[in-house]
Amino acid sequence: MPTDRHTASGRTLISCLTDHAAHRPTAIAMREKERGIWKEKTWKDYADEVTAFAAALDDMGIGEGQALMVLGDNRLRLYAGMLSIAMLRGYAMPTYPGATLDELRHFAGEVPIAVALAEDQEQVDKALELRAEGSKIDHIVYDDGRGLKDYAAENLHSWDSLIERGKARLAADPALGERLQRMAGPEDPAVFLHSSGTTGKPKGIVLSHRNVISAAVGSRKAGVFSDNDEILAYLPMAWVGDTAVTVAAALTFGFTVNIPEKQETVLRDMREIAPTFYLAAPRSWDNMLTTIQVGIENSTWLKKKIYHFFMDRAIEAERRRMRGKADGGLDWLGRWLGEWLVFGPIKDNFGLGRVRHAYTGGEAIGEDTFVFYRALGVKLCQLYGQTEVSGFSAAHVPDTVKLHTVGAPSPGFEVRLTDEGEILIRSDSVFSGYFANPDATAEALVDGWLRTGDAGYLEEDGQLVVLGRVSEVVYTRGGERYVPNYIENRLKFSPYIKDAAVIGAGRDTLTAMVCIDADATGHWAEVNAVPYVSYADLSQRPEVAELLAGAFKRVNEALPEPLRLHRFVSLHKEFDPDDGEITRTRKLRRKVVEERYAPVIEALYDGSKDVHVKATVTYENGETGVVERTLMIREV
Amino acid sequence: MFYRQSGIRHTDYVSDSKLFPIPADRNLLLLILLIALAAPFILAPFYVNSYILPWLIWTAAALGLNLVIGWAGQLHLGYAALMAVGAYTSVHAARFGIPWEGALLIGGALSAVIGSLFAFAALRVKGLYLALTTLALQFVMDWVLSHSPTITGGSHASLQAPTFRLLGQAITSDAGRYYVALGWCVLVTIFLLNLRRTGLGRALVAVREKDYAAAILGVNSFLYKIIAFATSAFIAGISGGILVVCYYFLVTPEQFTVAVSIQLLAMVIVGGLASIIGTYLGVGLILLAPGVVNRLFGALAGYFDLRFSPETFAHIPNAVYGALIIVFLIIEPMGLGKIYRNIRDYLLVWPFDQLKK
Repeated sequence: MPTDRHTASGRTLISCLTDHAAHRPTAIAMREKERGIWKEKTWKDYADEVTAFAAALDDMGIGEGQALMVLGDNRLRLYAGMLSIAMLRGYAMPTYPGATLDELRHFAGEVPIAVALAEDQEQVDKALELRAEGSKIDHIVYDDGRGLKDYAAENLHSWDSLIERGKARLAADPALGERLQRMAGPEDPAVFLHSSGTTGKPKGIVLSHRNVISAAVGSRKAGVFSDNDEILAYLPMAWVGDTAVTVAAALTFGFTVNIPEKQETVLRDMREIAPTFYLAAPRSWDNMLTTIQVGIENSTWLKKKIYHFFMDRAIEAERRRMRGKADGGLDWLGRWLGEWLVFGPIKDNFGLGRVRHAYTGGEAIGEDTFVFYRALGVKLCQLYGQTEVSGFSAAHVPDTVKLHTVGAPSPGFEVRLTDEGEILIRSDSVFSGYFANPDATAEALVDGWLRTGDAGYLEEDGQLVVLGRVSEVVYTRGGERYVPNYIENRLKFSPYIKDAAVIGAGRDTLTAMVCIDADATGHWAEVNAVPYVSYADLSQRPEVAELLAGAFKRVNEALPEPLRLHRFVSLHKEFDPDDGEITRTRKLRRKVVEERYAPVIEALYDGSKDVHVKATVTYENGETGVVERTLMIREV
Repeated sequence: MFYRQSGIRHTDYVSDSKLFPIPADRNLLLLILLIALAAPFILAPFYVNSYILPWLIWTAAALGLNLVIGWAGQLHLGYAALMAVGAYTSVHAARFGIPWEGALLIGGALSAVIGSLFAFAALRVKGLYLALTTLALQFVMDWVLSHSPTITGGSHASLQAPTFRLLGQAITSDAGRYYVALGWCVLVTIFLLNLRRTGLGRALVAVREKDYAAAILGVNSFLYKIIAFATSAFIAGISGGILVVCYYFLVTPEQFTVAVSIQLLAMVIVGGLASIIGTYLGVGLILLAPGVVNRLFGALAGYFDLRFSPETFAHIPNAVYGALIIVFLIIEPMGLGKIYRNIRDYLLVWPFDQLKK
């Protein structure tokens, strides 16, 4: 009998894996695109590969207390390697492919890295560099051997050679496989993630098998997943969202995981797969919306007319529905015809044709974007979660969606609010503490409740509203309380604004620095015959300033009088994670930004018309350069 | 709108090289095939016998010509002569007592032999010179036919085809003949559809694009040209035989004159070079449009009570038909097949305007 998929008790990711391998050996566990062809791997083959790699690691004396650091984009073997180390009760530590050496050095300092599992030559180089700088990395294993033929580094192995070694061991000792598969228990580490590090260094977060599986089961009960979903593994492996979906839920419920060829081919691969579950950041949904709109604008007269005829009506109908009004008499006809003529083909084009579960999370999503997708027939919902709870703690239910909430807490999650309005969560999936950091743990865990650090409140119908970080709540000189992030997100709903930083703590009025979106604004400039030579040039064009002022006015309308934005400046460069201005998940590092742009902020408040800046830029090869610019300051 | 492409993925290279990866194309093809199979039962015999049947046989023949002109890029103005070879050979063989299956094959084989023998000489030159040389094939064959009573039975005589039997079954009904024509046409179509996926097809295309560039790549361009001529002559021979046994019932030299060669060339060009769907449409236009325009014009004249002299009445449909060809070629010089492709592309990217964003 297969284990009941919908309970967490006593299961580990490994037992899930062997369960699928035993009961549906020929079902497809993974599909990885290689040179245009989707290579399929059945549950049985996948389990065999994981076990063989674990046997090889075991042979090398690797196990409990040691870590396997994953370097690279989503690849089948990197996922398999994570499971192998989890099998041996070690730590599977995924990292962002763009992580800097500093970040990696910090990770390597937390726990001995027994193996660095690298995707390709680029990542191997990174691991070798870390090792040269003194970080302890015993072995380096690579997946794609291209360019690595002449590397003579110590303890550098190819994945295939280790699989051979593991298989040889398993053949010699038939009982070994089962012994390895039974080693890990529910309380053993499943994955070693890191907090995003918005404030200070990333903190290590070890999630146990029980944590991640009960989070998946909770989400399943909240309707986030079904059994046997098709998913596309394209999110960064180091993000908890990927762990929750591609690792935990996929193993718990037996999804087919599809791995795109490259990051650049995700759009095309998405169409070929047409996943049934799709989670994307609000930014990705926005980008897709922009692509659709630009595509329609460039289309022929007839196609444009037909699109607008149906889309405008559908959006209208969706807005009515969200206000709780009944459908008009002919709405069903418009939806039916529109589905055939417009919505279906668009969804087909972007691989959304089979989506049953479409989610967004991480930040607030713009109303226009949200309504657009729902009008298109994609039942977009919001998720709320954090690394500390192994995934998603609240989710919308498609029929009771309210834009300003993140949905009701999932089954298995208890939510409570402190007097200050901080959200507290208790659940089986809450982690047991930051890795080797008792101070931070004591701060975060109080009597089994996790302090999320998010400010919010519960609505009467039980849906949770998240306002922003508690630590981000600031006051103007007049004592007005606000969350800058909340205003920034609303600014970012304009397609022309990519990033924004709102300033005003301890000041009389609020001002903002924004980074324009190069693509959208560039396209707008082309259409409106605004000449420009570079991003910096475009950002200072008076026409663009007017465009931005329009966006500011719209945001101001929704804000109370004391919180209105008065002046803004359009920055000459985008915020960049390489410069430390935003995190890899594109969250603003407020301190860094305020420090770096101090002269600009001064100018925003001293009434001057422009400001001269000198900025240090870190190029991708690590060199730094200096950019000088005069930025214009605009009134709203 | 009709073409849904999400979820089309390939797990091996065999599936990646499918002829029709998009379900909508497959469904359309299946629908047409079903209609074609049901045609004798749902259409009046008149339409089947005098429109669809000749359309299918001429399409098979034109596809053979398209192989030489469209795929291999060699002009050919003597195609009707090769059909004549096939027609006479198979009729004679059948009269000699050889079963029709063998007779048709012998017709095709002899056609291929003569076609490639001639190609050996003709392919020493290129372009217009080759066209002129192939025209010589036509005239030589015309002369041979009209001067050898043993073949034709005299200069103005016609030769009756013996009763058509396939696999021991006498085929005397309209439906039977229709299915033979349909079967042959489908066979040729399947061959050409798959041609582009084979080494032969790719070699032919390489020769077409630039024969000495192909030679540098190791493609023996002379050999492949001969293969193209021989294959197309084989198709011509069998098509000629089937044309006689299923449609004309007797064979005369007038059925395969130079005018017929030119007409076949027109079918291929109007349809579109190297386009299979285009060849179907091209044959349809050249073969059926005169009749249709004639009837339409007659009906219009009757309805509006217009009176023309018989001469005008005979010429106006011809003029309209000529104009039709010119109009189609002005709209799309690449032929009717390209028009079909344009429509398909328009719907393929619906509601966007470009293939890739």
